[in-house]
Amino acid sequence: MRALFFAMVLAAHASVAAEPDVIEVPEDEGPDGYNPDEAKAEEPLRLTGYIDVGFAKATGNGSSFSPYDTRVPLDYFSDGFAPAVNSRGDVASTDTGGRFTNGFLPRSVGIGSAPSFLINTASADVRFQPRGIPVFLFARLQLMPRWQAQGDSTRVELQQAFGRISPLKNHELALFLGRFDSVFGIEYLENEANLRPGITPSLVARYTTGQGLGAKAFYRFQLPTIWSAVSFNAAATNNGTRIEALVPVDASLTGNFVASGRLGYELNLQRLQMKAGVSGLYGPRNDQRSSTARQIGWGADLRLTAYGFTLAGEFVRLYDEHAPASGKATGLGPAELASSFSVWGGWGRLSYTLPWKTEALTGVTLYGRYDRRLAHFEGATYLQTDRFTAGARVDLWDVVALKLEALFNRELAGAPTVDNDVFTSSVVFTW
Amino acid sequence: MTFLALTLLLAAAPKVDAGVPWHAESMPLQLAVRTPEDLAFKAAAEREYLVFNLLTGGKLAWDRGDFDGAATRWEALLRTPGLSADLDALVRPLARQARARVGGEASGISEPIVTMTPMEPEPPTKVAPTFFAVSGVVTGGGSHGPGGAVIVLRRTDGTTPRPRATRVKAVLQKDKRFVPHVLAVPVGATVEFRNDDELFHNVFSLSKPNDFDLGLYKSGAQREQVFATPGPVQLLCNIHASMNGWLYVSDSPWFAQADASGRFTVKNVPPGQYELEVWHEWSTQAVKQAVKVSGTMSELSLVVDGERRAPAFVPDKAGKQRQPQLGY
Repeated sequence: MRALFFAMVLAAHASVAAEPDVIEVPEDEGPDGYNPDEAKAEEPLRLTGYIDVGFAKATGNGSSFSPYDTRVPLDYFSDGFAPAVNSRGDVASTDTGGRFTNGFLPRSVGIGSAPSFLINTASADVRFQPRGIPVFLFARLQLMPRWQAQGDSTRVELQQAFGRISPLKNHELALFLGRFDSVFGIEYLENEANLRPGITPSLVARYTTGQGLGAKAFYRFQLPTIWSAVSFNAAATNNGTRIEALVPVDASLTGNFVASGRLGYELNLQRLQMKAGVSGLYGPRNDQRSSTARQIGWGADLRLTAYGFTLAGEFVRLYDEHAPASGKATGLGPAELASSFSVWGGWGRLSYTLPWKTEALTGVTLYGRYDRRLAHFEGATYLQTDRFTAGARVDLWDVVALKLEALFNRELAGAPTVDNDVFTSSVVFTW
Repeated sequence: MTFLALTLLLAAAPKVDAGVPWHAESMPLQLAVRTPEDLAFKAAAEREYLVFNLLTGGKLAWDRGDFDGAATRWEALLRTPGLSADLDALVRPLARQARARVGGEASGISEPIVTMTPMEPEPPTKVAPTFFAVSGVVTGGGSHGPGGAVIVLRRTDGTTPRPRATRVKAVLQKDKRFVPHVLAVPVGATVEFRNDDELFHNVFSLSKPNDFDLGLYKSGAQREQVFATPGPVQLLCNIHASMNGWLYVSDSPWFAQADASGRFTVKNVPPGQYELEVWHEWSTQAVKQAVKVSGTMSELSLVVDGERRAPAFVPDKAGKQRQPQLGY
């Protein structure tokens, strides 16, 4: 037995000697790596996009018009902006019950209070980046099929089309020319359904996320000793930063450009990322032929990300000055008065991405958002509303996003209380 | 009890098949002899090793059908003086069976055939290990081609040794690119990231569990990161959304990368059974196949798909998607 034990010890040693635990990879034998030539790098032309379909149910009649409000016309005394049902900010209904409306109305999918399936957006991006030169061309074409007789009709929109050049090799400078996203605030960064953590835009998105035609410049410089960067983003466009549906004419009638910009600060620590900025807007009112009536805006924004939590928020203040000349151009024709308008509002959102991740399940995010807005048309009452939104987003294989959201709207002052909450969902397939 | 010990003994012994010679005939330990006690110790060790060798060598010969070899070893074992009774009882019937299978009579020689008291210590004979180069061609990869594919061999007939890196591999950031674009390194490797641009750069990865963030650093500066877990690691820059590259961290010392034409060679691979895995940046899944490494193996031909699409959005280091058209 002793002999066997000794033999086993020797055998174990022999085994170790034959198959070492660790083998060195000699310096001259490891791979040196691989660099693809240009022809095998990423394709210069890329087509991407997404399809956003949803299922929504609005309470009440889907609009924000109170059946007990008998004032005519339904103007600034009422708040025509019902809560949105999708990422584009379309509302369930703008049905006034036959009463004349002399105000701005949002886009409508025309479903009223009926629970409905929606094809919200089919979006296609074309990117072209020629090899060897610092030029980038981009276009985004979007189809919004709307088959309900009560809502807006189906439309196709060339949302963006621009060229970008990065002329300096050693500086982060990019110049844009064409039709592009707003530079005001931060919500434009997640304006598309596949990028937005939730479904519906904020109460102030209508003032900050529009696209304009013009020129834009972005410059950023890094401050590595404090893990920081400062950026400037400035644009001169033929309109402001409001979304099309809310602008009575798409472009400034003066022919003068509207200037907008954002000064940003980034702190990029290893466990915490913070981005903050202030934005401004200055130019003539779109609906005036004289540039003496101006649109002016400013805002501040903040994003904090750490340990799966993201806190984001934005504050916006906007004025349209009273026009000295009588009348203005609107989407419904000439109007007698061009009264002033002012609004302040903001939103804050806390989201948490759970630390679960598999090949199929690439993200589960829970979020809650609070919005508040106080709007005032000269001569009318102050309209104050707020909104609570809660929801969840599940990402699958990085190409499918499933979203569910409940939105509770409150008329706090200036408008009658209306039953206009929304329960909505969305499936976004990115290709 | 003896049978159990024999089973354990054989389990602990190196695995051998018909294509691999049994090297245990030589004493694997060098025992220095400087005193009479050393000599006695060495003699005892050699005797026990002889017992072990004849016992297990006979069993391995039996298992591969070499009954003459088995009988010869076990008969020699039975002639060893002072063999324990339980070992004798175990081996004697086996030796008879082996001899019977080759048509002979078991020889019960009672005299020892070896003298266990050599006067001069003999240096152990070293058996030169045999290694092979595993080479072949990877094809596929779609329009990107097969270049950069990482080929890894892992043993299936034993334990794959852990690789140990002996140098710091360097990845440059040059012209807003990671150079090299794909680099395979052994697990535990330290990779140096050097900024060769005039711009500031960052390097980060969200590829768990090898996720990391090296912060911002200026032109000419460098940062190091140790990669302790095997698998692919995507390299990104928090400042420049267009930059991306890959590391493949190998848990095996036997790996290689295909060149632009797809050719590869994995050097110094011991003979045996392996699982070969091919990872490619643009493939939707790794290719795996069984490979027997020997002196007679032919070149391998491997095919990878190139169907993985570049993601529509590139995340920042917090995981938030960035819109590439913005350029920031």
